[in-house]
Amino acid sequence: MTGQAKDFVITRTFDAPRELVWKAYSEAERLAHWWGPKGCKLKIVSLDFRPGGIFHYGMEWSGGSIMWGRFVYREMVPPERLVFVTSFSDENAGVTRAPFNENWPLEVLNVVTFEDAGGKTKITVRSTPINPAKEEREAFEGFFDSMNQGYSGTFDQLEAYLAKNKS
Amino acid sequence: MPSDRLSLTFSALADPTRRAILARLARGEATVTELAKPFDMSGPAVSKHLKVLENAGLITRGRDAQWRPCKLEPAALKNVDEWLEHYRALWEQRFDRLGEYLRGLQGKKPNEKMRARKK
Repeated sequence: MTGQAKDFVITRTFDAPRELVWKAYSEAERLAHWWGPKGCKLKIVSLDFRPGGIFHYGMEWSGGSIMWGRFVYREMVPPERLVFVTSFSDENAGVTRAPFNENWPLEVLNVVTFEDAGGKTKITVRSTPINPAKEEREAFEGFFDSMNQGYSGTFDQLEAYLAKNKS
Repeated sequence: MPSDRLSLTFSALADPTRRAILARLARGEATVTELAKPFDMSGPAVSKHLKVLENAGLITRGRDAQWRPCKLEPAALKNVDEWLEHYRALWEQRFDRLGEYLRGLQGKKPNEKMRARKK
């Protein structure tokens, strides 16, 4: 557990202009090329790319099993910002529990920002599980930053505590 | 739709006072009175926070009627960590595929040095 980044922020820079990266996120045929894990085929059921719209898809594994997922889009500011809620799903685009771990979050909020970096694009993803009943949260950026600091700090102290209290 | 344990945990961690309470409990058990001291907060106000932490499985409270000491439960934070690692790995994988896809679109050669990416 030590040595891993214990935060909710993931970044990477891509050698492509923002407009192209935005297309990769916003067009169904393009999403199909990269969204799912390696080894599965992404089957697009529907993509309604607007705030409140849903992206419904199935991940087909060899052997015939399908795992469904969906996004509900919240905000979009092309080509710089995209906010959506992901969850596992079923054939009817409902929300289901993660098939392999029932303790995992039902819904995860993702705030994705695309920054121009001299013709390249730096993508930052901030993710957190959300409680469907408490969706009304303002200033997500502030929330993530404060969570980052607080959580990492708490976890360091926890590790020290665990080291002292083996029982 | 019932809530999941992890998002309850995240909600609990989202408050700086509650994180400070957890930090204090990481140093050892404490009573409500002891926990309230640094915040200049009333007992009932602290108890509200403790209830949220308890609900998320982050702390347990002793049965002793007089003192009801609070204790940190490490398992809840470990679950968060596990999920974070899993989620990060998922995104890294997606980014690998996105990178390949974008290179292909622009007619660039496949990247042989994928391991040397900047984080």
